Amino acid sequence: MIYDVRHVTTYGYSRPVPFARCLLRLLPRGDGGQSVQKSELVVTPRPVERIDNICFFGNRMTTITIAKPHRDLKVEMRARVTVNRPAPPFPGLTRHWEEVAALALASGSLAPDSPVHHLFPSRLVPQVEPVVAYARESFPPRRPVLEAASELMRRIRSDFTYDPDATEVSTPLAEAFANRHGVCQDFAHIMIAGLRGLGLPAAYVSGYIRTIPPEGQKRLEGADASHAWVMLWCGPETGWVGLDPTNDIIVADDHIVTAFGRDYADVSPLDGVLVGPGSQKIGIAVDVIPIG
Amino acid sequence: MRVRTERRNALLGGYRPLAGAYDELMAPDGTVRPQWEPFLAEWSSLSQDELGQRFGLADRHVRDTGVSYRVHGDLDERDPLAGERPWPLSHVPLVLTGAEWQTIAAGVAQRAQLLSALLDDIYGKGATIGEGLLPAAVVSGSPDYLRPLQGAPSGGALQLYAADLGRGPDGRWWVLGDRTQAPSGTGYALENRLALARAFPDLFRTMNVERLAAFFQSFRAGLVSRSRRVEPRICLLTPGPLNESYFEQAYLARYLGFLLVEGGDLMMRDGRVHVRTIAGPKRADVIWRRIDGDFADPLELNARSALGVAGLVEAVRQGNVHIANGLGSGVVESRALLGFLPRIGQKLLDEALILPNVATWWCGQAREREIVLDRLDEMSIAPAFRSAGGGRDGQPVLAGELDRPEREALRARIAARGMDYVGQEVVRLSTMPVYENGHLRPHPVTLRVFAAATPDGWKVMPGGFCRISDDADARAVIMRSGVRSSDVWVISDAPVEPMSLLPTADRISIRRVVGTLPSRAADNLFWLGRYLERTEATLRLVRALLGRLLDADDASPGRSDTLRRLVNLLTAWGAAPGGKGQSPALQAAVALHDVEHYGSAHATVREARRTASVIRERLSVDAWRLFGDLQGQLTLEPGLQPSEGEAYEIADRALKSLAAFSGLSQENMVRGAGWRFLDIGRRIERGIATCRFARHFAEATAPTDGLDALLDLTDSQITYRSRYLLGASLQPVLDLVMLDPYNPRSVAFQIDRLETEIAQLPSLADDGMLEAPRRLALKLATECRTAEAGRLDRTSILLFEQLLMGLSSAVADRYFLQSAAPETSRMMGIA
Repeated sequence: MIYDVRHVTTYGYSRPVPFARCLLRLLPRGDGGQSVQKSELVVTPRPVERIDNICFFGNRMTTITIAKPHRDLKVEMRARVTVNRPAPPFPGLTRHWEEVAALALASGSLAPDSPVHHLFPSRLVPQVEPVVAYARESFPPRRPVLEAASELMRRIRSDFTYDPDATEVSTPLAEAFANRHGVCQDFAHIMIAGLRGLGLPAAYVSGYIRTIPPEGQKRLEGADASHAWVMLWCGPETGWVGLDPTNDIIVADDHIVTAFGRDYADVSPLDGVLVGPGSQKIGIAVDVIPIG
Repeated sequence: MRVRTERRNALLGGYRPLAGAYDELMAPDGTVRPQWEPFLAEWSSLSQDELGQRFGLADRHVRDTGVSYRVHGDLDERDPLAGERPWPLSHVPLVLTGAEWQTIAAGVAQRAQLLSALLDDIYGKGATIGEGLLPAAVVSGSPDYLRPLQGAPSGGALQLYAADLGRGPDGRWWVLGDRTQAPSGTGYALENRLALARAFPDLFRTMNVERLAAFFQSFRAGLVSRSRRVEPRICLLTPGPLNESYFEQAYLARYLGFLLVEGGDLMMRDGRVHVRTIAGPKRADVIWRRIDGDFADPLELNARSALGVAGLVEAVRQGNVHIANGLGSGVVESRALLGFLPRIGQKLLDEALILPNVATWWCGQAREREIVLDRLDEMSIAPAFRSAGGGRDGQPVLAGELDRPEREALRARIAARGMDYVGQEVVRLSTMPVYENGHLRPHPVTLRVFAAATPDGWKVMPGGFCRISDDADARAVIMRSGVRSSDVWVISDAPVEPMSLLPTADRISIRRVVGTLPSRAADNLFWLGRYLERTEATLRLVRALLGRLLDADDASPGRSDTLRRLVNLLTAWGAAPGGKGQSPALQAAVALHDVEHYGSAHATVREARRTASVIRERLSVDAWRLFGDLQGQLTLEPGLQPSEGEAYEIADRALKSLAAFSGLSQENMVRGAGWRFLDIGRRIERGIATCRFARHFAEATAPTDGLDALLDLTDSQITYRSRYLLGASLQPVLDLVMLDPYNPRSVAFQIDRLETEIAQLPSLADDGMLEAPRRLALKLATECRTAEAGRLDRTSILLFEQLLMGLSSAVADRYFLQSAAPETSRMMGIA
């Protein structure tokens, strides 16, 4: 599947901002069954400095500096991405989960794709006992790991209410769990906390999902959204498998990966500090258009 | 002689080593270890009173230098000094022989070298992990493993290392823990040394105690060698005055000649780090950080940090700044690592460890986990890593002391997620003497030893500081509350050369102005000057008010009018409540003591002290002491209501302390930019206050008593009387307090000085145009010089006052952070 993705972020400030430094993680990755034909990042006003890097986890990151007073900032990412992932493994045939946990912990590699980075609490995913207890119900002894994780995903999907008003970026995981409310980001964090609590290596992914407009309606411009889900390491043969608890599906060619990390803090699309006391207004428009 | 023997017996009477623990002072057979004999001899030569006096000397030193530490959870935003306590010093040093020190020093240097090599390997090639000597999870589990630094030059470079040691029952020293993140305590070691050396100077000399200065010189040389520039600008990056060891940081910055900066003082541009100074951005070459690495860059590291510098990691990656210790250096502090170090030592150094670790089993491995679960009751269980994201208690527990359900819960947690835990052998610490009510008593002790990377290899500080537990339980795994600290004396076999931190003559290049003043420091000095001057003005108002109340005989015309005006002035700047029916005496008492009134002398002194605390490294010990004195003078004991006479005395004494501060700053402060900002602050405030006084008292209809008050307030009585034989009359008084450039209290004098000082400040513009502060100062000076006393009225005096306030804003806009970097905010997050 080939997609054209457009992601526009605008900031409006109540007072001119003389200086800003931002870190952008918007350009999609070109690995894991995904290749990027072309991609560009356009920032207005024009930055005085722009540094393109690859972060530890292999995500593309861009640091920009804007040193002239501005009241509006616009960051536009455009990319054409081909997605052709290998078929996910049959869940019942994956290794049992205790074995996966032991293999991950014993891994002798600190490489970016090593499971050892995703076994421990991280900034936004602390160890929360009730979440672990919730997850454990799906993990009786010796159950195949992907089968158990799929069930956990399904339970999150049915037990939690999708509610864009319920959480902010800063809502703590324990709170979102207790309220059984949230958005994709919360569901991903909760699922990761549960898996890690059991000793399983679980990662956070940011990206997009193809949306199909309701029957008979036209696709609305900018109506798509960025998305987040989970990746679980299922053993050395299988590697990482994507699980989307918001939609209860194992990730295949409908998902486009932007970045991969331990939690949202590792992959946040736009982060920055700016100078100035004013208030800010943010606007986001995303289009994910399948072109063949 | 008999007296001495008796005293010795009194000191040692009842001193018995604890069962099963090594005692530093006394061998098991009750004899005193020989290295302690000179110490006991000296102490036995002193009576209890004399000893008390010596302790007093040490304690005064501690108090006077403001050696303090912050008690956690004891924070008052309005008064950040409230949580500070004097550093609890025990007056008995830990005495160690040169021979046993050699083993410690060799062991600590070796360990520093090992951890340094390991850090290089972790952030570099990863051979130890690749070859299976270290599980990757021992690294990835640490929140101090900073992935953005992987592969960066000096990502984990170790410059200063500290080891916490304990001595086991067999007399061997064991490593209890490693400090590689940002080890604290070097400053306390230095301070403990100064305090005890002051109390027992002879003892210190005759015992040939090894000196510390050379260590600091090496440490500084090590930092200098990290820069390519010959005279690098070295910054000490502090979390700020609310940090528990801020005093130490300020002290070290002053002692080592580094620039004390907070994150807000630094900025990253073009891949380099700069300090914001009054002369524009200046390059920072080396940063000795005292903030955790994770907090150093809100962009690539912890986004919630307000202590760091956005873009710092990028500057490190580009190799344009050296940070000591490297941002990622905390990763080797984990307890999980301890058990692997002997094998890694063999691999990286080809050596066996000189100092053993506390035996540690990381439960992330199946076999080790079984051992820990089998022997749970005899072990200390501790988190394997510093906690990330909260939610875990960081303290070790003695599993055997838990009740059954707690122990079973712990067992289950270890079984489920063993990688989060280590089991450690319980260490029984050695004990050392502490002086209590005329006797020495054994208390458990741990020792912190420091090593610095220098161009000539690792150097170990010959001494350190020890922490003494108030708890008699020598099993103390980590010492809890009630900890005292003491100096560590390493006894040399030969006399030691005294040495100070001054470099040798051939290495000094003569300079008269040191570095550039950071904008934040300039800001604080300026406000310090203003607060002090405001305090003085308030005190003069109070004194003038009380003086008139006390002067019962005098019923000069206009007295009640003067009293009213004095109270009005106090009320106008928030020092007194004002209002009818309140007696002037009460108003005066409030203006002196009541911190709830933000303009009271007590409140402004507190502000001055708070401001000063942020720039402690720039103030002398004497100056700092004066703040304490002043605050003491203005603090009223609860329930005490001083009489008018007593209140007058209090105001008078406080004015004397302020005069002492002015004297110190005039006589002892180098005329650099720092002094200049202090002086500018004072001059502006004094000018404004004098204008206000003049507006209130010098009217055409003013009674003599009012003019008299004006002369009192401006301290110009004597000058006036020497010039004019008649009583006070309007125009001569106005000329003297407003326009006379020879009267150091006049507005004209302040303006003259302001013009001179401001002309000496650095200029940013190179277009030949005057910058705003200079332009305003010049305008003020011209207005003032061309004014005539006969034409001065309330309106024209108000104009001077407004121009002075305008000048204050212009100085602030140009030189302080508020304009260079007003508050920064985070961009809103998006999903």
